[in-house]
Amino acid sequence: QRFRFCGDLDCPDWVLAEISTLAKISSVKLKLICAQVLRDLLGEAIEYDKILKLTSDAKLESGDVKATIAVLGFILSSAAKHNVDSESLSSELQQLGLPKEHASVLCRSYEEKQSPLQDRLRACSLRLSQLGSVRWRVDYTLSSSELQEVNEPVVHLTFNVRDREGEKMTAVPVTLSADKFWVLLAGEEAAGTSVGWIC
Amino acid sequence: MLLVLSAEHRAHLGCLPRAGDAAVGELGRLALEQLRRGAAPRACEAAARKLNIGIDTIQHGVEGLVYLLTESSKLMISEIDFQDSIHVLGFSDELNKSLLQLYLDNRKEIRSILGELAPRLPSYHSLEWRLDVQLASRSLRQQIKPAVTMKLHLNQNEDQTAQVLQTDPATLLHLIQQLEQALGEMKMNHCRRIVRNMK
Repeated sequence: QRFRFCGDLDCPDWVLAEISTLAKISSVKLKLICAQVLRDLLGEAIEYDKILKLTSDAKLESGDVKATIAVLGFILSSAAKHNVDSESLSSELQQLGLPKEHASVLCRSYEEKQSPLQDRLRACSLRLSQLGSVRWRVDYTLSSSELQEVNEPVVHLTFNVRDREGEKMTAVPVTLSADKFWVLLAGEEAAGTSVGWIC
Repeated sequence: MLLVLSAEHRAHLGCLPRAGDAAVGELGRLALEQLRRGAAPRACEAAARKLNIGIDTIQHGVEGLVYLLTESSKLMISEIDFQDSIHVLGFSDELNKSLLQLYLDNRKEIRSILGELAPRLPSYHSLEWRLDVQLASRSLRQQIKPAVTMKLHLNQNEDQTAQVLQTDPATLLHLIQQLEQALGEMKMNHCRRIVRNMK
């Protein structure tokens, strides 16, 4: 059977297996655990001790606690990835065997944080290199060892590029004559209009 | 299968009967620590002071024991063969028995350590991917050219490397088809026969 939150594919076996573990936790505690998992997905620190305290009533073993966090993380991020609305998510989770209360609690938490989650996933997508900033300076050359009167403007640009691994910023300095600079600018304008044509 | 101990090896182990039973236990412990974590000269110094034996003798004794244990574990020799191999050293029965016990107790652990020493190729860690469509370039406007960009993260001996690859969808489908064919080979009779015989 195909599920939208799994990207129109079958639900993975391990998710099916852990749905029954989720049902053991009360729906109130599930909401708080969801909040913690969402914090982790949004890049903030997860408070594992709080989760341990919340799951202690259901008498889950440590393996089960980790499985619960993993399955909640999968459901929430996969639903955000495939842009599933919270009602469809709720009905699909109930089809998998999650009790109605638990499904509605999970989906309400999902709905609140759907946009920030999608923004965060978009920011984490693969990027090869990224332009950080551009600095510029225009000089005017008066004279040189080759020619006494030069009188030409010169543009200095420094592109700060973040490399592939996203760790270091490299500075790429470029020096252009005025004519070359106009060519560069014309190319960029053309690219800009092409982008405008799509959007 | 008997172990052949060289003259130098026998000389190193020759210090054991002189050291006494407590010393043998201590040297055995040092040998195992050396196998697990590498040489520890300070631990050898401490043992030398405690047992009132020269540090060189201690180090030779530990190294001799390490070599004896690794060779025996590597070849997985039986108890009788081990006893016969160390019989040539002319030790007392008690010493022989403690050496045998040391070998039997730690054989499995030593084999797992030796197993990790084999050279390893880079192995898969994770794959990030991205689907792009090229709409225009400086030379040609209004195109539609899809491309899949992938970043393959590999693990080699705790080093993480990343390889960036780019392909068009047709090549990617061909690649997937080739990999599925490779997996399909496992189900052929030839592979099945070999796998059955290995179990």
